[in-house]
Amino acid sequence: MGFTRREFLWACGGGALLGASGLFLRREFSRRSWTENTFIARAPHYQADLAGIISSGLRELGISREEIKGKRVLLKPNLVETSLGAPHINTHPLVVRGAAEAFLNLGASQVLVAEGPGHISDTLLVLEESGLAEALQEDRIPFIDLNYEEGFTVANAGGFSRLKSLTFPVLVKQVDYIVSLAKMKTHHWAGITLSMKNLFGVMPGIYYGWPKNVLHWAGLESCILDITKTLKPHFAIVDGIVGMEGDGPIMGSPKEAGVLVMGRNLPAVDATCARIMGINPHQVNYLANAEGALGPLRESCIGQRGETIASVRTDFQLLDIFPAQRGLRL
Amino acid sequence: MSIVSSLIDKLKTRVTDNGGFGVKDAAGARPDATAWAILALMASNQDGDLINSARANLASQQLPDGRVSISRNHPDAFWPTPLAILAWQNSPEHREAQSRAIRFMLQTPGQHFPRPADAPYEHDPTLQGWPWIAGTHSWAGPTGLGLIALKVAGQGEHDAAQEAERMLMNRQLPKGGWNYGNTRVFGMELHPMPESTGIVLEALSHRVPREKIQKSLAYLRTRLEGLRPPRSLGWGLLGLAAWGEGLPAAHGLVAQSLESQERYGSYDTVCLALLVVSLLAPRGLASLYQ
Repeated sequence: MGFTRREFLWACGGGALLGASGLFLRREFSRRSWTENTFIARAPHYQADLAGIISSGLRELGISREEIKGKRVLLKPNLVETSLGAPHINTHPLVVRGAAEAFLNLGASQVLVAEGPGHISDTLLVLEESGLAEALQEDRIPFIDLNYEEGFTVANAGGFSRLKSLTFPVLVKQVDYIVSLAKMKTHHWAGITLSMKNLFGVMPGIYYGWPKNVLHWAGLESCILDITKTLKPHFAIVDGIVGMEGDGPIMGSPKEAGVLVMGRNLPAVDATCARIMGINPHQVNYLANAEGALGPLRESCIGQRGETIASVRTDFQLLDIFPAQRGLRL
Repeated sequence: MSIVSSLIDKLKTRVTDNGGFGVKDAAGARPDATAWAILALMASNQDGDLINSARANLASQQLPDGRVSISRNHPDAFWPTPLAILAWQNSPEHREAQSRAIRFMLQTPGQHFPRPADAPYEHDPTLQGWPWIAGTHSWAGPTGLGLIALKVAGQGEHDAAQEAERMLMNRQLPKGGWNYGNTRVFGMELHPMPESTGIVLEALSHRVPREKIQKSLAYLRTRLEGLRPPRSLGWGLLGLAAWGEGLPAAHGLVAQSLESQERYGSYDTVCLALLVVSLLAPRGLASLYQ
């Protein structure tokens, strides 16, 4: 039996349509069926027992001693730059210390802290003036400057941007467990910056520049997804004790939300943080694109441990002058 | 033993088998570390053989089009090229390599474009300088380094150098100083940074009237008080020295900075070399060649 050219083209078109439908349905199924848990803890101030709070979160989320014992844990805080009277730019040193103690208490063989700030090529300046250097020295926790680390290149597993490959610091190959230790902030380019956007600081400046302009030219939002998908961090903790609202990530105002938010899945953690900030995660472009591909966003797909979102919701100021912050309010 | 002698001794432990310098102890050679080590060795009148071997190592890393990238596997990361130009200066054996590197710089500005009407930033994106990485915009650090290299190599009056000067002046913060290269974003003036300010002040010395950078000098003078991180301190001292404002307290500041190694571990080669140069170049980096 033969096909006419027209029949053949119809068959091809039908096949393509069927394929596209299949992809759509699979993504939709993934959106509805992918479930994750996050944990919200109240932490009214930085003098609270943060190690205890984080340990509770780890326990609630099923992170056992067996899972962490003997592992090298890398904590990646958000260190951007320092400005007198603006400690809310960076992940607070006491949150870093609390996380380190929590993982050491679970039997981690070593906890390392590492960062590669995007705006400033003198990482030690930010480390020192943020107060983190002092906190790490007291606990004898090593710090690694990711901006000058030798890199290794891998295929971009995300495929969201045009970048074919990504170059990570060799350190990420030498550790067993990566934790994004982010700050809860609004962001004038991306809407919000939380555990996923924080991963820009993993990319070494010697390969990406200051600012990490390669990622901007390839599409800031797409690159957030690419890095998250390719790096596959194991856990996220977001410092929302005092976050930043308005003109984040640097020039915004401090905002006390009094929470730490954590979880294994970064989009789920960021979606929960967004709701706490009074922001609809589905309206944040990069989060919306992460749904189904990297994790769930729907509230019904995120099991909430600890406090409820409603009980801690603290609306962060959004400014209409920033296109990325328009229309985000829940 | 003087600070400089001990720093040079430490640098010499970072020489690699192929004549280059590693960034850290036991690390393989990397062009940025090698170039900075050469500058420190030159500044302290060290053994010519060590310098020549390091220059040869740097030449072995040069790509055919003249660029010197952070590694041969990352040709786009060509920001060490101006450092190589400085390291090859006054070396007859490397004149050809230096010429190719200069030609590459002159032909390879960053990405530039007309300023969109609704641009949230205030700088002029048409003014050309140099990027850190190929295919991206020009920023203060690499443009400052590029201009310093062209000045030292006798190309300071080239059109590209003149435009780089205009670009850097355009990126000066209204309250003084430079950061990575943005001035105001969404109407808010950003913060200056000592390292960027030092690099750009060094680049602009003998090129622009003092009154045009007075606020930046004032910022840097104040910012350096008690500053210990070596990149910021080293470039900060050079930036001031280039304008005849060398700090009498420089040795003390460098000594304090070196003490911080007890906290952070041994500094990388670039930092150690930068501190040496900052102590031995009383009129700025360019004065090493005079």
